[in-house]
Amino acid sequence: MNSEKSFMNTSVVSADTKMKAVGKKFQATGISNGLVSGLTYGIYSTLVVVASGYNPLVSAAGILAAPFVASGLNDLFAGIWLLFYNAKQGRLRELGRTLKTKPGMMLVIGFLLGGPIANGAYLVGLALAGAYAIPISATCSLFGALFAWIFLKQRPTKRVVLGMVMCVAGAIIINFVKPQGAPNFTLGIICALIAAVAWGLEGVFSSFGGAMIDTDVAVNLRELISGLFALLIVVPLIGGGIKLLGGTIQAPSPVLWLAIAGLSAAISFVTWYKANSMVGCAIGMSLNVTYAFWGVLFSVLFLGQALSATIVIGSIVIVLGAIVVTMNPLDLFRKGDA
Amino acid sequence: MLLPSRTAVLNYMFDKDEVDVKSVMAALKDDYGNEKQFNEKMYLDHLMALEANGMVEMSSYELDDNDELIMRYKITDDGKSTVEKYIDKRYRVA
Repeated sequence: MNSEKSFMNTSVVSADTKMKAVGKKFQATGISNGLVSGLTYGIYSTLVVVASGYNPLVSAAGILAAPFVASGLNDLFAGIWLLFYNAKQGRLRELGRTLKTKPGMMLVIGFLLGGPIANGAYLVGLALAGAYAIPISATCSLFGALFAWIFLKQRPTKRVVLGMVMCVAGAIIINFVKPQGAPNFTLGIICALIAAVAWGLEGVFSSFGGAMIDTDVAVNLRELISGLFALLIVVPLIGGGIKLLGGTIQAPSPVLWLAIAGLSAAISFVTWYKANSMVGCAIGMSLNVTYAFWGVLFSVLFLGQALSATIVIGSIVIVLGAIVVTMNPLDLFRKGDA
Repeated sequence: MLLPSRTAVLNYMFDKDEVDVKSVMAALKDDYGNEKQFNEKMYLDHLMALEANGMVEMSSYELDDNDELIMRYKITDDGKSTVEKYIDKRYRVA
């Protein structure tokens, strides 16, 4: 990538300098986007739990109705926030155009997995296992690599396998000591795992030409489709779901919290994809996974989550493992010098 | 029905040796020129995102007469096979 085509020495120097400056700025913006995506996803995870603490969500019968009402409303709010954002950028028309392409349709299948199924399972997991569900869900990069291996014939390197083993080890550590007073703890962890599996699969569906789709548009579609599917199709199938949805919409507190949670989720997704497309999926995903730290930290600070040695060590091991799955940590330093 | 713009950028690059953001925009102006999103920042974003996904690569860069940095890109083999697989042929008539 040298500027062989520039003949005059002086212009070569300044073109190189300018190019380096552009590259550096690009890298820095990408990394800060990735960090923001992790932070805002941690905020989203915490706020959804806050919203679920209000009536009628907190007293809803069964384990499914409240999480799906909450995740459906959250995603719908996120989708609406993103509609404003994309309208401001002047690309609302892109939504329809994207849905009519093959890569767009493949993305939609992925959205249904990553949206209603994974988000719903994640929130059931949060409700049953508390903050323990957050780092467990971060094993999604493990499943992403695993499915890429199975379906896309992308053989993992030794480094990726090492990271996978670390993720599993971290999950085992977290489950070593069950917290007291959480009768459905293991079920909650299983739900978080289902979320991780579905998120891993979602990634596979984005590999059918998804690279040609504007991510800000894709994220907007994802949140709208996921929210509408959860509220119009899943919730009515759950006993008492419709009644709970109606009651929740009329209650100001949970709706307000879900609207803010939706805004955090919207910012998180936009910055995450932006980071992926600026510094590569590997670094982007690794930075995003720091949400497990933030989520656990905020839960301890604001939700009275008890801090145990197993959750601290387990989360650290999972986050490190997820980073090793997605990238060679040494690259961070190497690229910093460039 | 028009392609989504990022898809259209890659599709346009399919049979071109080298493009920069200005030549891409000149070529797509007839179809997309009246949209608010039709600006250099957005189209440079498309090129850079396609680059990050391995669909295109930077082929050269230099300063123009106004000392502005011009970055040129060309489509990669991955990009070409993605276009062939997922974009209808009728979009490829120049």
